[in-house]
Amino acid sequence: MVLILGAWASVHAQKYLTKEGVIDLYSETSLFVIEAKNQKVACILNADNGEVAASTLVRSFKFKEALVEEHFNENYMESHLYPKSQFKGKILNFNQINFSKDGSYNIQIAGDLTMHGETHPLKTTGKLTVKSGTITASTEFLVSLEEYKIKVEEQYKDRINDQIKLTVHFDLKPM
Amino acid sequence: MKVKYISFLFFLACLSSQMKAQDDLLDMLEDQIEEEPVEVAYTFKSTRIINSHSIERMKFGQLDFRINHRFGQVDLGWRELWGLDQAKISFDFGYGVTDWLMVGFRRSTYKKMYDGSLKFSILRQKSGSKVMPIALSYYTNMGINSEEDDPDFTFSNRLSFTHQILVARKFSEAISLQIMPAYVHRNLVNYDEENDAFAIGIGGRYKFVRRVAFTFEYFWSTAAANNENIYNPLSFGFDIETGGHVFQLFFTNSQVMEESGFMTETTGSWLDGGIFFGFNISRVFAIAKPRHE
Repeated sequence: MVLILGAWASVHAQKYLTKEGVIDLYSETSLFVIEAKNQKVACILNADNGEVAASTLVRSFKFKEALVEEHFNENYMESHLYPKSQFKGKILNFNQINFSKDGSYNIQIAGDLTMHGETHPLKTTGKLTVKSGTITASTEFLVSLEEYKIKVEEQYKDRINDQIKLTVHFDLKPM
Repeated sequence: MKVKYISFLFFLACLSSQMKAQDDLLDMLEDQIEEEPVEVAYTFKSTRIINSHSIERMKFGQLDFRINHRFGQVDLGWRELWGLDQAKISFDFGYGVTDWLMVGFRRSTYKKMYDGSLKFSILRQKSGSKVMPIALSYYTNMGINSEEDDPDFTFSNRLSFTHQILVARKFSEAISLQIMPAYVHRNLVNYDEENDAFAIGIGGRYKFVRRVAFTFEYFWSTAAANNENIYNPLSFGFDIETGGHVFQLFFTNSQVMEESGFMTETTGSWLDGGIFFGFNISRVFAIAKPRHE
C-alpha cells in the first residue's frame, strides 16, 4: 500500500525545466568592476513539493575581457578541478503557490550551494510568476569567496570584492 | 498497537523517499543536460611561447598588444649594461577577428621589417563527451624589409614569407608541449644562402606555481644546417602573469623576433658568447563584447 502510494506520487509529480537559465555575476570595488553572464544554467522544479535543483558549468560564465575570464577559471574558481556548481533546495512556501493559475508570488528559498568543492547553506528570497503555464523565477543573493575557499591574493583584494552578487533568472517550462 | 507500528513504517518510508527524491531531482536534472565537449583552455599563457607563436589565439574582439625586446650580448659587460644599450624591439598587435582567426601586425627594428599575419585555429583540444587530443593552428606571415637599400633592388626583393603549422597539447595544468614545422621563403638572400628553408620547432612550458611558468623553445632549420655562420635558435626563460599583463623573460641566441628571421638568420651561438637577454610584455584588451549565442 505504501509502495503503491510512493510510486504514484513520483509518477504524477509535475516538474518544470530550463536549460537556458541566466545568472549574472557582479563584483564591485573602488578600483574594478567584474561582470559575467551565464546563459546555460539548468534548473528543475518539482511543483508538488517545491523542491528545486540547479546545475551549471563554471566555464559557462562569460566575461567581456578574456583575461578576466582566464583568471576566474584558472586561478580562482579552478574550474579544471571543480567544473560544476550546483544548488539543491526547496521553495519553503511552495504550498501558497497555485501552479495552475496565472499569478505572482514572493518566495523563500533554502538549500545547499556547492561551488569550488565547498557546500554551504543558502537562504534567500525571490519572486515567482506563473503565466500561461510557464514559471518565471528570479532571485538575487551574495556569496562570500572566503566561505567557498576561493583564494584572493593580498595584492588583488582591492580589485575583487569578497561578496559576489549573483542575479538569477529562470524561465521554466513543464517537462 | 499494530496501527502505530504501521504508521511509523509509513512515516519512515515517506521520509526516506523525500530525501532520496531530493538527490533524485538533481540526478534527473543532470540526465536532462546533454554533455557538451569542453574546450581545453589556457595551454600557454599567451600567443607566443618565446619567439614562436603558440596555439593560443585572441577570441573575437580581444586585442593582444605586445612589446618585445632583445638586448645585446650579455658578455659585453657593465659598460654596455650587459647588452641593454643595444636593445632591439618589435611592437606587435594581434586581434581576434573571429574566435578562430587572429590577424597580426608587427614592426620590428631588425631590417625595419613590417609584417602582417594570419593565425587560423583549425582544431581545438577538447575533453569530455568528444575528445580531441591536440590543438592545431596554421600561421602565415608576409614581411616587408623597409630599410633604405640599393636602388637596383625591387619591392619584391624586400619580401619574405612564412608558413607554419602549430600542434600543441596541454598534458596537465603544469605541462604543455608544442611542435611547429615551418617553411620560410625569402625573396632576397646572401650568395651563400638558399631562398627556401624548412624548420621544425619544439617548445613548451612547465607551470610550477599559480602564475609562473618555465618556458623553452628550440628550432632546427635547414638554413643553419647548410651554413656555418647561421645557428639554430634555442631559448628558455619564465612567463610571469600578473593581474593585467604577461611578462616573458628569457635568454636566447637569436636577436631576431620575426619568423623568417629567427629561423634562418640567427647569427648568435650559445657556445660563442651569442647570448641575449630578452623580454616580451603582453597585455590583452577587450575591444568588442563577446557575442552570446
